[in-house]
Amino acid sequence: MLSYVVRRLLYSVVVLVAASVLVFTFVSVSGDPLAQLRITPNLSQQSVQNVIDRKHLDDPIPVRYWYWAKDAVTNEFGTTLLGDRPILPDLWRVMKNTLQLVFIAEILAILIAVGIGVSSALRQYSVFDYTATTVSFLGLATPVFWLALMLQVLVVQIYEQTGHRIFPVASLNSVDPGSGIHFVLDRAHHLVLPVLVLMVASVASYSRYIRASMLEVLNSDYVRTARAKGLPEGRVTMKHAFRNALVPLVTLVGLSFGTLLGGAIVVETVFSLDGMGLYFVNALLANDPYPVMAWLMVTATMIIVFNLLVDIAYGYLDPRVRYE
Amino acid sequence: MPRRSIALSIWALAIAASLVVGPAAPAAPERTSAGTVVFIHDQEPPSLRGGWLDNNLLATGLVTNNIWYGGQIYDNAARLQPRLFESKPKLVKTSPQTVTFKYKASAVWSDGKPVTCDDWKATWKVFVNPQFNVVSRTGYQDIKSVTCSGKAGTIVFSTPYAAWESLVSGGVYAAHVVRGKDMNQMFNNSIPVSSGPWKFQSWQRGVQLTLVKNPRFKVGPAMKLDRVVFRYIVDTNARFQALKAGEGHVMEPQPQLQIADFLNDKDFKVQSSPEYAFEHIDIQLGPRGHTALRLPYVRQALITGINRKQIASALFKTIAPGLPTLENLVFKPFEKASYQRHFQKWAFNPSAAISVLKGKGCTGGPDEPSTSNSNIFSCPGVGRLSFRFSTTTGNQLRLLAFEIIQRDLKSVGIELIPRFQTAGVLFGSTLPSSDWDLMMFTYGGGPDSKITSSSLYSCPSNRGDQNYGNYCNGKATTAFNAALRELDLTKRNALLNRGDAQLAVDLPSIPLFVRPKWVISAANLSGPLLNTTSEGTPWNAATWQLK
Repeated sequence: MLSYVVRRLLYSVVVLVAASVLVFTFVSVSGDPLAQLRITPNLSQQSVQNVIDRKHLDDPIPVRYWYWAKDAVTNEFGTTLLGDRPILPDLWRVMKNTLQLVFIAEILAILIAVGIGVSSALRQYSVFDYTATTVSFLGLATPVFWLALMLQVLVVQIYEQTGHRIFPVASLNSVDPGSGIHFVLDRAHHLVLPVLVLMVASVASYSRYIRASMLEVLNSDYVRTARAKGLPEGRVTMKHAFRNALVPLVTLVGLSFGTLLGGAIVVETVFSLDGMGLYFVNALLANDPYPVMAWLMVTATMIIVFNLLVDIAYGYLDPRVRYE
Repeated sequence: MPRRSIALSIWALAIAASLVVGPAAPAAPERTSAGTVVFIHDQEPPSLRGGWLDNNLLATGLVTNNIWYGGQIYDNAARLQPRLFESKPKLVKTSPQTVTFKYKASAVWSDGKPVTCDDWKATWKVFVNPQFNVVSRTGYQDIKSVTCSGKAGTIVFSTPYAAWESLVSGGVYAAHVVRGKDMNQMFNNSIPVSSGPWKFQSWQRGVQLTLVKNPRFKVGPAMKLDRVVFRYIVDTNARFQALKAGEGHVMEPQPQLQIADFLNDKDFKVQSSPEYAFEHIDIQLGPRGHTALRLPYVRQALITGINRKQIASALFKTIAPGLPTLENLVFKPFEKASYQRHFQKWAFNPSAAISVLKGKGCTGGPDEPSTSNSNIFSCPGVGRLSFRFSTTTGNQLRLLAFEIIQRDLKSVGIELIPRFQTAGVLFGSTLPSSDWDLMMFTYGGGPDSKITSSSLYSCPSNRGDQNYGNYCNGKATTAFNAALRELDLTKRNALLNRGDAQLAVDLPSIPLFVRPKWVISAANLSGPLLNTTSEGTPWNAATWQLK
């Protein structure tokens, strides 16, 4: 197992380097990062030249990549293009915020999806099963941005009708969030709508996988054997069927979690949450390639790490899988 | 383990993780106060170092204008009014240009030190230091010396600088804070002192920035509010919803249709006025543009073929009705004393556009304007009148404007081919390359920016460093370049109008409309007055009051 992990990690380094070369090249050729400046009246050419010199913008892309890579490794991803602002502290800040959002949304989504999926499988073709199926497809078909906007409008309508603000429509906390438990509750209050929006698609998707997986397992020979041996139905379901039905979900959740840590871009933008997704959007809007690169590297790393974790978890969950 | 226990454990884990990974809470809870106004804004400043390459933003000025307070500030009628200065600065000599000013005795920094001429001098030194990445050194680089005597100062210019009054009146850094420091790294996260009505308190990046009353501010009315909190909400819809939901009191929205929702809402007050930024179409006259555009009659056909009045009306009829067509590329309609309607002679007249083209021997076009026309003119020696039309992608108002322009010109036998690009590509590559035919975009500006018309319309080889359309006319260049150094306001405006009159003859650019600006404030907040200059709405925040 250890040699497998080490080998995967080494492969990952190669993948990361290749990804960074490709992304840096694409970002570099996609446009002039000093573009917006060039229509500023009375622009100081000296200041522009300072930036060009400091960031080696006059050099060929491979040379610039080398400087970026050096900065990324030895200087914590370096600094922003124009403001010379350290990138890593900002990245840490937004990662923490995204982690909160994604972690809560995913945990809740898994719990609800497992409940729905298992129940649907156990009551196949029942009213509950048909209802769950219909609602799941609705959830999958609902665009995230639309749902987010509708929830905002709904909350504002309730406020205008009743004068009661049930949930905030934007931002991570109140003007005066307090500290300690007050801060946590205030943050939770602000995350209700974004979490709800993130959960809808996840619950819809996960519950379908769980249902299908459970049905497959419940119809397998070893479950039939367990029942024939006289084991109670609850035990058959939970101990023999449920554990095995979880295997596909682990893959799905692992990959989804890794991707989401790159930022739930739409949700963070619509609710103005200071997370990875919004950080990426702002960096793109500012035409600053360096935060974009840092974001991409962190996101790529997350996806690689979670892929690896999924593979390792497979080994534990499924005795048939062995790593050489 | 029972299922209930598993669920509870996961919940506890989630909350614990939330506590662990959450950003540090403020050291002490901030006091909720009836005197707190929340200003919702779309853009968060990257730092508090305004006027820097990365930070020439209105968003920064909104915060810092009342911290680095001006000797004079622009009021809501765009007039400079003394604040830290005892009186208006004086032009005591024109050759060499010499200006004097004096700070009020009561002008002090929030740490108790007096505001003096030394602060002005230190600010000048910052702006002329080539190591510091200021966005512009204009004006400062024309200063030969600054002589200080306590609160009073004398500035001698090496070359005349027309916009001296706004330059001298600007906010200044505290000398005791900035002297000897690397300004490229200063004020990244906070500002330690203030000379204005409010001072910096805290900044939760990505969420909000809080300013509080400066108790040492004595040169004007003290702030009635305890705090002003800037809340940064990036998403347009979320900003409007947050204001409606009572999560903020005031905002300066971009032109958005959501403004219409507030116009008849008794809980809000909406103010609107044209600002200095204006939309226009530049015409490429250089070798990489379409040859036909170098012919004056083709440009005349273009401008008379476009219903400019309808564009402004169609774009803003709901949220800014009655927005006038812009008829001058230098002065704006609200600058009534100097605004001369040089472009009015090119009013919408599609029949005249067809006549002028046919009169010059162009063939293949329609005989009369028709929206269903598909015949395009070809003119002698320059070929088909089919032009690339470049503008930024993703801007709904520009898209609508393009559709109107395309339809108008098609009906007179001129074809437009859209070339929409991201702002980065358009302004970074396409515009400077001069490889385009027509380009629609906005020029920003302020009360003094008109003196830099030379940069846009003088010959590229003679101060026209941003004249990407390659227009070159000796008369216009002489007028605009002279205006840059003319100290007499009346003569300067006359020069600028002379230059603009020439632009209206040559048509290197088609003015469309001045963009409107809005302020929406909650009805329970009194005081906000729209200010179309870079001072922004908080220019009079000291007088704001919650009812």
